Amino acid sequence: MLKIYNLHASVEDKAILKGLSLEVPAGEVHAIMGPNGAGKSTLGNVIAGRPDYEVTNGSVSWNGVDVLELDPAERAAAGVFLSFQYPVEIPGVPALTFVRTALNAQRRQRGEEEVTAPQFMKLVKEASKSLKMDFDMLKRPLNVGFSGGEKKRMEILQMAVLEPSLLILDETDSGLDIDALRIVSEGVNALRRADRSMLVITHYQRLLDYIKPDRVHVLAGGRIVASGGPELALQLEAEGYDKYLPTAA
Amino acid sequence: MAAVKETIDTVAELERYKYGFTSEVEQEFAPKGLSPDIVRFISEKKGEPEWMLEWRLAAYERWLAMEEPTWAAVKYAPVDYQDLYYYAAPKKKDGPKSLDEVDPELLEIYAKLGIPLKEQEVLAGVQGAPRVAVDAVFDSVSVVTTFKEELAKAGVIFMPISEALREYPDLVRQYLGSVVPVSDNYFAALNSAVFSDGSFVYVPPGVRCPMELSTYFRINASQTGQFERTLIICDKGSYVSYLEGCTAPMRDENQLHAAVVEIVALDDAEVKYSTVQNWYPGDSEGKGGIYNFVTKRADCRGDRSKVSWTQVETGSAVTWKYPSCILKGEDSSGEFYSIAITNGHQQADTGTKMIHLGKNSKSRIIAKAVSAGKSDSTYRGLVSVHPKASGVRNFTQCDSLLIGKECGSHTIPYIEAKNGSAQMEHEATTTRLSEDQLFYAQQRGLSEEEAVALLVNGFVRDVLQELPMEFAVEAQKLVAISLEGSVG
Amino acid sequence: MSASAQLNLLDPTTYPSRRVEAWKYSDLARVLRDAPQVSPTANVGTAGAFDDIADTVVVFANGQSDEASFTAAGKQTLALRFVSDATGTAHSARYDVRVPAGSSVTVVESYEGAGSAYASHVRLTYVVEAGGFLTRIVVADDVADAVSIVDAEITLAAGGKLAQTVVSTGAKLQRIETRLAHYADGADARLDGVYVLNGSRHVDLTTVVDHLAANGTTSQLSKGVARDTSRGVFQGKIIVERGADGTDARMGHHALIAGERAEIDAKPELIIYADDVQCAHGNTVGTLDESALFYMQSRGITEDEARALLTTAFLGEVVDRIEREDIRERVDQWLTDRL
Repeated sequence: MLKIYNLHASVEDKAILKGLSLEVPAGEVHAIMGPNGAGKSTLGNVIAGRPDYEVTNGSVSWNGVDVLELDPAERAAAGVFLSFQYPVEIPGVPALTFVRTALNAQRRQRGEEEVTAPQFMKLVKEASKSLKMDFDMLKRPLNVGFSGGEKKRMEILQMAVLEPSLLILDETDSGLDIDALRIVSEGVNALRRADRSMLVITHYQRLLDYIKPDRVHVLAGGRIVASGGPELALQLEAEGYDKYLPTAA
Repeated sequence: MAAVKETIDTVAELERYKYGFTSEVEQEFAPKGLSPDIVRFISEKKGEPEWMLEWRLAAYERWLAMEEPTWAAVKYAPVDYQDLYYYAAPKKKDGPKSLDEVDPELLEIYAKLGIPLKEQEVLAGVQGAPRVAVDAVFDSVSVVTTFKEELAKAGVIFMPISEALREYPDLVRQYLGSVVPVSDNYFAALNSAVFSDGSFVYVPPGVRCPMELSTYFRINASQTGQFERTLIICDKGSYVSYLEGCTAPMRDENQLHAAVVEIVALDDAEVKYSTVQNWYPGDSEGKGGIYNFVTKRADCRGDRSKVSWTQVETGSAVTWKYPSCILKGEDSSGEFYSIAITNGHQQADTGTKMIHLGKNSKSRIIAKAVSAGKSDSTYRGLVSVHPKASGVRNFTQCDSLLIGKECGSHTIPYIEAKNGSAQMEHEATTTRLSEDQLFYAQQRGLSEEEAVALLVNGFVRDVLQELPMEFAVEAQKLVAISLEGSVG
Repeated sequence: MSASAQLNLLDPTTYPSRRVEAWKYSDLARVLRDAPQVSPTANVGTAGAFDDIADTVVVFANGQSDEASFTAAGKQTLALRFVSDATGTAHSARYDVRVPAGSSVTVVESYEGAGSAYASHVRLTYVVEAGGFLTRIVVADDVADAVSIVDAEITLAAGGKLAQTVVSTGAKLQRIETRLAHYADGADARLDGVYVLNGSRHVDLTTVVDHLAANGTTSQLSKGVARDTSRGVFQGKIIVERGADGTDARMGHHALIAGERAEIDAKPELIIYADDVQCAHGNTVGTLDESALFYMQSRGITEDEARALLTTAFLGEVVDRIEREDIRERVDQWLTDRL
């Protein structure tokens, strides 16, 4: 279970999150929606431990572990996976190499056996097949020259292989056409499990047609200002965020 | 993918400079200092012909009249040339006739370095494993050369140059100093006077050398300079791939390594020369380490000849090195692929010269520099096209990566075109290690050091791919290990 | 101190030879062996090509002028004419320009040659203060057998702006050197150059940009064409000092060799001591695109016309970076007349 309590965070001395509290029980999918600049991406980055995102107050724990005490790699090994809004290009490092290196680094941190090359290839082949990815693409440097949709699929593939327990999807729908959106969403849905929690960060309701949330939260002005069931997303779609903006308050 | 594949897996097993041990081998030395008598001593030890002694003495005279170069972007304490041993050799009765006669302690040292000297072990190894013929140079002398017989069957001569001077004096005399003349530069003149060993390779016309040839250099003795001389002649239509590796113990003093490598490629010949240079770089305070002042040059004198230099420079306190190609032959081609990694207080001034004299000659330069800690790295290169060389093409790419705020990275190319049909392209970039990339890799579970190693291996991948397989693996380990402690 | 700063045309011991690294490709000691006599005074009868758009015109005739400095105020255009009319003699000049906060000055330096085999050395200092904006246009039109050296020392304070364009046709030895102390922190510098060389002319465009503080930008683009047996030299050095983080510096030099025996020498240098930087340089040497030439010819354009058009287009990229339209048009015309 993810427990965030009274989280304050700033970037370059500018306060972005101002007392955010949130709980996501195991097995549930929660959506975080909100206007631009509300701090949605900041939330994902803070949980993952991005440098320059300074937590000034509050706590974040995952399955009882205080994640704020851990460095980013330790958080990853503890099961935290952030699907980046803009996945980073890494020239010269083939995607396969990257994923295998990451998987074994995590396993080592957890004191588990490393996977062998054949085991790894089997895992990746299955994942790429279900995501309808050309396997040859995985031999290319990670994300370099990939289209927006390919990059997002690459993120989901890493999720499938790394098997994190907390999945944070940061604007995963941005830059996707309708077919890519469906494939990516199916990939995510396939990962739903009773012991996994998901935080789906999105500006539009459209993604939630595919990835059905248990709960929907509205993030505005650095805090959760409203929470509800899936119907809240539809309401936001119809009415917009106006009433949550500072001027309307 | 192969080049980067195992990086992370192997980082863990490596220490900071694992070749830093010293070995207790009984050795004999010439008296310290340099004089005509020392030159005579070395020549006599080697049983050289008279002309060779004269050649050396002439070089010594030239050296006396020359000044140490100061134009490179490196600073180091002056070398006291009279306070060095110019000759140190493991004691032995006679030269070993076979491996069985080699001092077992020496074999153990090379085993510790991971260098296969025992042919039978190599042969008994994993099926399909690449076989490499090795010439092992320990301080001033070659201790053993493997696979000589098998190479001889193909007509390939691979032996210590001291032996070649006795067995093939005419061949050596014809080519020695023809690519790097005695008076080429201060360190080349010094080397010509005092070199004590090195490798000699001759590949006859039309022969494709059946295995990789390799020389491993080891400086062991204290206060000893290493001056090896390598001469490679590839006759018409032949091919050879040659690997060079270097290590030295950790010592507080600076040790001098001033080598000369000469390559001659005749018509349609191809030479691939790869170096993984891992001399002791000095400690984290900048104390000790090797001064690596090396002259390497290839003469592509034949039409359609091709020489490719690939170097991975991770060691040495100070590096001064410009493997070059003189592209005399028509349609000849020169390549230079370089990775230079500096950390701690290391300084490297390295690059290449591509001298286009022949029509339609081509050159390609890919240089990657990574600077960390308080180190300084300079790419210095010359591409010159002479008036009669029409149809020349050159492509140069120099990329520098900076890790930390106390290092320096410099790019100094000279581009000289004296022919109206030359097409030359040069690109250079300097950037820092991307924080976005670092965080992304860390988010997927890599520690900061693992992430740096992975990203740097990606940065240098284009060059790693040029290395023969077995060297590439060693090189990527080195990339990781040389950058340890550069972040955080 | 740089060799240029020490140069005195009347003292041959100050002539740098090619053994001086910064003068490697322009061996003044070889070209100008002995000290020439001092040039006599000269009269300048004609109007300058930029007089009509200038608020102030300052004329140096064989190094002589009543003016020694200029301080800008508001928005101004200054025409600095350095007229050489001498034969076998030498002259030098100094001039200082200050660009205070809030002022925006365009200085058009024209080097106008008559006579023959003269040697000219002009030294300028520019100080651009915070909030000042200097546009410097250098139009160098020396005679073929002249020796002409222009060296400018520019200080760009934090928050200042510099836009420089040099256009030149070379001389027996012509060197236009700019040394910029870039105090960054938002300061922005552009240093461009164009050269068109015929006969056995020689030009040396040398720049040294020293980033002394954080967050500065530098953009350099130089292009040239060397014909016949001429020689174009480009030396560009960008230094990023320790602590000058956030520097963004880019330099490009692209040359066409249009003569079998023409020569291009380039030395683009990056000397970097800070890690948070984006620096790049590119250098190309080549010939006109043969397929474009053929394409144009296939549409009925003669080969000469096609070459001229493609060359103009090639060089035009640099001229297009001049912000002021009236000056851009004149520089464009000046170049077209010399192609």
